[in-house]
Amino acid sequence: MATNPVPDHVPPEMVRDFSLFTSPGMSPTPNGDPHAAVACVHSGPPIFYSPLNTRDGRGTWVITRASDQRRVLQDSETFSSHRNIFASALGESWPMIPLELDPPAHGAFRSLLNPLFSPKRVAALEPAVRERAIRLIDGIAASGTSCDVMKDFAFPFTVSIFLHLLGLPDDRIDTFVGWGRDLLHGDDVKRPAAARTIVSFIDELAAARRNDLVDDFMTFIVQAQVEGRRLTKQEVRGVGVLVFVAGLDTVAAAIGFDLAYLARNLKDQELLRGEPGRIVAAAEELLRAYPTVQLIRVATKDIDFEGAPIRKGDYVSCATTIANRDPAEFECPNTVDLAREDNRHATFGYGPHRCLGSHLARREIVIGLEEWLARIPAFRIKKCTAPITSGGHVFGIENLILDWS
Amino acid sequence: MRIIVQNAKCQGHARCAAHAPHIFKLDDAGYILPGNIEVAEEEKLTASRGARSCPERALKLDLNPAARVEPDVIPPRVRRA
Ligand code: HEM
Ligand code: SF4
Repeated sequence: MATNPVPDHVPPEMVRDFSLFTSPGMSPTPNGDPHAAVACVHSGPPIFYSPLNTRDGRGTWVITRASDQRRVLQDSETFSSHRNIFASALGESWPMIPLELDPPAHGAFRSLLNPLFSPKRVAALEPAVRERAIRLIDGIAASGTSCDVMKDFAFPFTVSIFLHLLGLPDDRIDTFVGWGRDLLHGDDVKRPAAARTIVSFIDELAAARRNDLVDDFMTFIVQAQVEGRRLTKQEVRGVGVLVFVAGLDTVAAAIGFDLAYLARNLKDQELLRGEPGRIVAAAEELLRAYPTVQLIRVATKDIDFEGAPIRKGDYVSCATTIANRDPAEFECPNTVDLAREDNRHATFGYGPHRCLGSHLARREIVIGLEEWLARIPAFRIKKCTAPITSGGHVFGIENLILDWS
Repeated sequence: MRIIVQNAKCQGHARCAAHAPHIFKLDDAGYILPGNIEVAEEEKLTASRGARSCPERALKLDLNPAARVEPDVIPPRVRRA
């Protein structure tokens, strides 16, 4: 891990001892609340410099106000997404697509993918999503009065939906869950190994679909055209790897944080179980209260931003976990209000990179909660267990042992 | 009431349509169709809710369009690729 000194152009008074990786509550913590831990930045300045705020130990500017984050994320000319995060961990250089491309190149790929994940398309996927949720939860209900939500439901659920998109059978769920776990939570040996495994898997699947066309996502990608040509092998890989990685931990973590909240707040749990019509709005509020992703941009030129001398090449962090607790945008931001109105949260980002999977993610979460509450009676966190939460680039929850005996 | 649609700002969150699909119509990619939206009196509340739900602030309420000096017909905008 390289520790970068604070660059000379950063005024010392703008440096703060805050980091999504090392601040209190960010390392894996039993019964932790990393969202509350980061919300405290709102008592400080709207922008500051954090000397160690990426996985590989780089410093970033931290934008705390939601309105300033919008300015950054809506201006990709000044704040670029070129980072090669995934590939550089492997010592390689290729972009995840469309995540690490800027407009106008971004737009060509994004237009290609949009119809596959549009609200209409997601509505058509709904029966398959619901069927998977029901199957998993029925299995859990039949086998006892306790389970680990993450291991037994959240991960298998999200991975099986991904397999469904890829046209692959469910019998590989465990393998994929393992890859995902190693990639996101593994050590310095397991992480690159898992990344390599995922890359080869995507490459092989693409090769197979080139030879033998079927009706699935990868076939669509290998046949698709941008700017009048087929995608290169590297572009196909960039898309395939992103869709695998992007939808895995994020949805599972959202389901985990949501059920942890409901396990600790029995009144809200009863309310939603009794009136499932409220679940859509409630899921939206839980998305606001428990977002996961930090967005990083790279300055393409020198710019003075709200008093901060941002210089070309500086990293700029827009953490959705921070934006969603901005008191200027959300009344009582640290209170969960399941009927909150005008809930324009930042969970899926702002600007052209708005989460491609947002409509799918919302359906998965709503369906997951609906079927869970319909099938599992009043549940709590099992005595003598503690969910372990963590901060970082993507906030997570490792385990959630519930009990309904 | 009229809703001013700033297509260039729309990023396809589809929150407007989630509130009122019959007022806010999306294209096949999930982005709002071009053209401002005239809202009937009885739809005012739903429509302003939908407009207020846009995370990108792409939708603006124009509460009193009649008071404006503007051509009646707004030319359809060219849709971004
Ligand atoms: C609750 C779950 C999810 C959250 C919180 C989330 C969050 C985000 C955020 C904040 C971004 C913007 C990144 C940036 O601008 O740098 C993003 C982009 C993206 N997400 Fe998600 N995501 C979720 C689920 C999914 C799912 C299920 C998919 C599956 C298809 C997905 C696919 C993508 C893709 C492809 C992008 C890149 C879009 C682009 O660059 O144009 N996400 N996501
Ligand atoms: S809510 Fe805003 S960004 Fe989303 S589709 Fe409607 S106008 Fe577009």
